[in-house]
Amino acid sequence: MANQLSSMRPNPYVDQERIWYPYISPYDPCPPICAKTYVVPPNQFLGFQPPNLPQYPPSQALYHGTLWPILFSPYKGKGEKYE
Amino acid sequence: MSKDQRVAQAEMLRNLQEIDFVLIELNLYLDTHPNDPQALEQYNYYARKRNKLRYQYETKYGPLTHFGHSFNQYPCGWSEGPWPWEI
Repeated sequence: MANQLSSMRPNPYVDQERIWYPYISPYDPCPPICAKTYVVPPNQFLGFQPPNLPQYPPSQALYHGTLWPILFSPYKGKGEKYE
Repeated sequence: MSKDQRVAQAEMLRNLQEIDFVLIELNLYLDTHPNDPQALEQYNYYARKRNKLRYQYETKYGPLTHFGHSFNQYPCGWSEGPWPWEI
């Protein structure tokens, strides 16, 4: 059973990554992965989108992949910090 | 085609891409919020803006789309490259 560590994040729109710690079996031949992360995107918290949310300018919108900063959910690669 | 012409073309395509993305987002938003006046007005504003930009691009570099959505020409029609997605 994955011991779910989903304590309430201070700001779910910013800290979107959650961590859980899988069980490490002594019989596992591969090097263990102690902590695994997953992203809970902000649209899970927004519900029905209210009108007139602040927007990115067009050039930034394409770059961020969304028109509304509140929905921005970067995928951070291994080690590379996305801004 | 000189280098800075190619750069200008790429820049215009990039602007078109940015406006297209905004239009896609607003379109999806309007699917669920059809009565939102600001979004409607912004969508129409960007649709007109996109049309102007497309017209500017096509008079300079040739058609972006086919099947009647753009004028064709010769030379620099769709029979010759590079096509927009190749640039």
